[in-house]
Amino acid sequence: MSPLTLIWLVPLLMALVLLALPARHTGLIRRLTLVATLLPLLASVLVFATLESAPAGRGTLATAWAAARSQSPQFNEAAAPLEVQYQFKYTERTQWMPSLGIGYHVGVDGLSAALLLMATLVAFAAACCARDVTARQKEFHVLLLLMAGGISGAFVSLDLFGMYLFHELALVPTFIMIGVWGRGENRNYAAYKVTLYLSAGAILVLAGLIGLAQFCRATYPSSELSGYNLLELYRMLSETHGTGLGEGLRPLILPALLLGFGILVSLWPFHTWAPLAYASAPTATAMMHAGVIKKFGLYGMIRVVLPLQPFADATYFWWHLLLALGLASLLWSGLVAMRQKDLTGMLGYSSVAHMGFVFLGIASLNLVGLAGAVLVMVAHGLLAALSFGLAGHLHAQCRTLEMARLGGLLREMPFVGTALLMALLAGCGVPGFANFAGEITVLFGLWKSQPAATVLACWAALIISAVYMLRAVRQVLHGPTPAVHQAYVDATTWNERLPYVLLLGALLLLGVFPRLITQKMNRCYQPTMTDKGLHAAHPAPR
Amino acid sequence: MPESLLITLPWLVLLAPLAAAVAILLRGRMSSASSAALSIGGVLLSFIGSVGLWVACRGKGVPEHPLIWLQAGDALAAGSLTLSFGFKLDDLSLWMLLVVTGVASLIHIYSWGYMREDRAIPRYFAGLSLFTFSMLGIVMAGNLVQLFIFWELVGVSSYLLIGHWFERPRAADAAKKALIINRVGDLGFLIGILMVWSITGTVGLGALAEKLAVNPELLGTSATLAGLLIFCGCVGKSAQFPLHVWLPDAMEGPTPVSALIHAATMVAAGVYLLCRVFFLFTPDALHVISWVGGGTALLAALIALQQDDLKRVLAYSTLSQLGFMVMAVGLGAPSAAMFHLSTHAFFKALLFLAAGSVIRALHHQQDIWKMGGLRSRMPVTFWCFLIGTLALGGLPPLGGFFSKDEILAHALTHNRPLFAVGVCVALLSALYMFRVVLVVFGGASRDVAAGRAKESPAIMWVPMLILAALSAGSGALVAVDHPFGVFPSEIHPPRLASLWAMLCGTLALLLGAALAWRFYRGAAVDPLPLQWGVLARTMRQRFYFDELYLWLNRWSHELLSHMSDFAERWLIAGAGVRGASGLALFAGSALRLLQSGNLQTYALWMAAGLLLLLYLFL
Repeated sequence: MSPLTLIWLVPLLMALVLLALPARHTGLIRRLTLVATLLPLLASVLVFATLESAPAGRGTLATAWAAARSQSPQFNEAAAPLEVQYQFKYTERTQWMPSLGIGYHVGVDGLSAALLLMATLVAFAAACCARDVTARQKEFHVLLLLMAGGISGAFVSLDLFGMYLFHELALVPTFIMIGVWGRGENRNYAAYKVTLYLSAGAILVLAGLIGLAQFCRATYPSSELSGYNLLELYRMLSETHGTGLGEGLRPLILPALLLGFGILVSLWPFHTWAPLAYASAPTATAMMHAGVIKKFGLYGMIRVVLPLQPFADATYFWWHLLLALGLASLLWSGLVAMRQKDLTGMLGYSSVAHMGFVFLGIASLNLVGLAGAVLVMVAHGLLAALSFGLAGHLHAQCRTLEMARLGGLLREMPFVGTALLMALLAGCGVPGFANFAGEITVLFGLWKSQPAATVLACWAALIISAVYMLRAVRQVLHGPTPAVHQAYVDATTWNERLPYVLLLGALLLLGVFPRLITQKMNRCYQPTMTDKGLHAAHPAPR
Repeated sequence: MPESLLITLPWLVLLAPLAAAVAILLRGRMSSASSAALSIGGVLLSFIGSVGLWVACRGKGVPEHPLIWLQAGDALAAGSLTLSFGFKLDDLSLWMLLVVTGVASLIHIYSWGYMREDRAIPRYFAGLSLFTFSMLGIVMAGNLVQLFIFWELVGVSSYLLIGHWFERPRAADAAKKALIINRVGDLGFLIGILMVWSITGTVGLGALAEKLAVNPELLGTSATLAGLLIFCGCVGKSAQFPLHVWLPDAMEGPTPVSALIHAATMVAAGVYLLCRVFFLFTPDALHVISWVGGGTALLAALIALQQDDLKRVLAYSTLSQLGFMVMAVGLGAPSAAMFHLSTHAFFKALLFLAAGSVIRALHHQQDIWKMGGLRSRMPVTFWCFLIGTLALGGLPPLGGFFSKDEILAHALTHNRPLFAVGVCVALLSALYMFRVVLVVFGGASRDVAAGRAKESPAIMWVPMLILAALSAGSGALVAVDHPFGVFPSEIHPPRLASLWAMLCGTLALLLGAALAWRFYRGAAVDPLPLQWGVLARTMRQRFYFDELYLWLNRWSHELLSHMSDFAERWLIAGAGVRGASGLALFAGSALRLLQSGNLQTYALWMAAGLLLLLYLFL
């Protein structure tokens, strides 16, 4: 069995086990949840670490173990040619609904391995932070495990329908969790708004995917082509130069997918759900959704929409639109974040703003921008989880996150305060954290195609972000300590500190060695990228 | 020195302070003494390493062994990005390493005395070590992006240290202001780096210099613009006009921090940057740079004359001297700028440490008009401060004399108006420094605390004495042949110009000292506000730059933010989202009216529909 299957299956099976347990065993439920998120984390570390030495094609845990011990790349004689051509590792494929062309197919390359590692790490951290839930703990943990398993499945699935299905599995618990365990008076409105927005996005995506698959099958009839398989789609695109897409639907599929994925990532102006949702969501939910589930929209853009670009949008209209909206996300949300009175509101808007960098990296349509976009995706996932986790701790202690009513927390809570200070500094792009590496790579990539937009993005990256982040530091962490604050409790035990330490450690590690990700991107992602003609379609100057 | 040591020694120099900072941070509850010992040990190790590198490699340079930090895109294809991490160690950076680690070591030791009673000594020393690491990173950086990374880190560690006493609203505000204004400058710097990279395809300092030496026209029409954008970084970090407003506020940090970061090293990093990328600048760019520097020097000297806070006088004096160095680079004399940077690092650190000694003895009193008569009570501090003042004023044969006169000589040969500005600044410097000396150390004590002041402990005055010796003796550098490396296009001024410059500089010093004697000997209050009226008030209010910037910020950035917030609330979330949901609700309730439950109405609609279909299809 592929380790990838284990990674998504373990949390889902554990969710079933928890359902069978009596609700009063809360300690056991928490521990089982931790185990069911820790095992996938370990497996994905193994997958990530052995990605380069493992052979393309089918792979099991034994393969990974062998690859981890020997440095030389191995060969897999039974590998499927497509998987070798596109360098997907640890694959597994079985039939599911052959009549519709839907199957079960998983595999990873540099892009998905990085996201998978981030997702499992955040899931483990979220499970650690789920201790602040006091009511209906069993149900909460079941939903959390559904999220964790679902989103891991979405990142490893090479079947478009499977990708969609896994994502829905992760998305639906969000609505329930905000409605039931959310905080604040707005939580019902937030749950309602998030459901509407994200469902709209997901439906657009589904329509786009079905359209894509159906037209592939209709215009390129071949016994091998199932329609929903990503690798076959890549091959079809490169063999037919996009004629397989069907003239009539070109103007429809691309915008539907772009817009649908965009709404899932809070693309401006479809972003107003995000700050509201994160301010109302319970800690673990905000960590999982802002950190991981939201990244699915970006992942889909890179995986599915970017390859269509040379064939479906000769005028670059949609990409210029994406660029403009990404820039709007970055500037607008940054400016709005400056006016937020609530810490989670500020974090929510800054999260929307950071997504702008990813849009810009993707829309710069070159490999440098794309590598930067992936770095920002991973970095932001870790950072969002970290900052929402810390905000959750503050909320549990202070019962409010209104910045005007906080102050001097750096002295009151040395550990949480320092961690939050580091998180906020990472959010305004201080070197040493992974965010900086990603942002500067995006800026380098973007400069080649759009210097004017880059200048605006630099403004947002260096100044606007510094203004709102440092304002939060000034109000929450610095300043005099009001007398009421004396009773606050820091995170003192290593149990409490573990999630924050892990996330911060990962941010720093990737900030100092961003090569860990870019190298894998270069090795494994290149073939599909060049195949898609990204270079040819948009030659770099000089 | 063996090859392997040459590769590892720079890493040791760079990483020793970082290791100290990390160790202090990881051991959450470390005792004050062991954190200080770690931090001081780290910086001393760096200093010893720097001395070793300087002795072994001066004039030869150290080969670069860059490691890849980040690589995006196919390395062989056009337009890929490779950012590496390597050390460029030539005479310029080797000398700068010595200055930085030397001054930093002394200030680390002094800090242990000065901060003795602080509640958060481990945090302080962790910040100081982090700063030293970042500063060394700037000095050793092998390419522009690496330099930018450490540039940002220096800004952040300065933020942490200014905000060391973060419970004080003024310190917290000053920290925030410093970082944000620094970042305004960094915006230009970053765009400049992107521009240079997109044209030349490299960010390596060595590779850039080679490419430009082969083809001076490589940057084409954007050469001046790229140079000035990179200069923006210097304007932010070296606090040049118009981004000078953060430095005086930064004095809210502990005094050793002001000495190390906001006088001797970090603010000098801008000047170092200019020398590092001197080959990039076109004559037009240099012209702008020289005037920005000269203007800052004059403006800051005028403001310094009317400040009452001891540290703020020194801060404006730092601004003014940095302006001098920037002017020197603009006049095409980077080695003169580096010379002045070095002497300034010694005497300004000395002045700050002596000021810190006074401030600590007076229980954190910083108003000079509440001091007085300290000459007899704190003799070591007094003599150190006086030596610093004389070195700053340029008394022969102290350090400042030679370095200042070299700059004035360049000004005299290349740009006469700037020479006049320079002499004015020299005069004003002597005036405001002797004002401080006379008010703080001369006369009678004006306050109880000043009457009871005692000399500081040896751990504080020993570093001061060493710095005093360095300030006095650093003029000897003039005898060394090219201590800062060779800058290809630099022309040395004729001897006659040097003589004139020396004469004018010394006369300015004497005149300034005499004026100070006349105004401030035995004065109980400042006589200038009465005599000079509006001018003195404007100087006291720092020419209203802070007010102007607050106003500008309110009507630009804040206004934009308010507008976006308003539109977000009422247009996107309000009209857009609620409008759409309202429309859906309205449509639903409208359609509900059709569902009346009345059979006859349904029959009517059915008939109408049939008719419509028949009409359409027939």
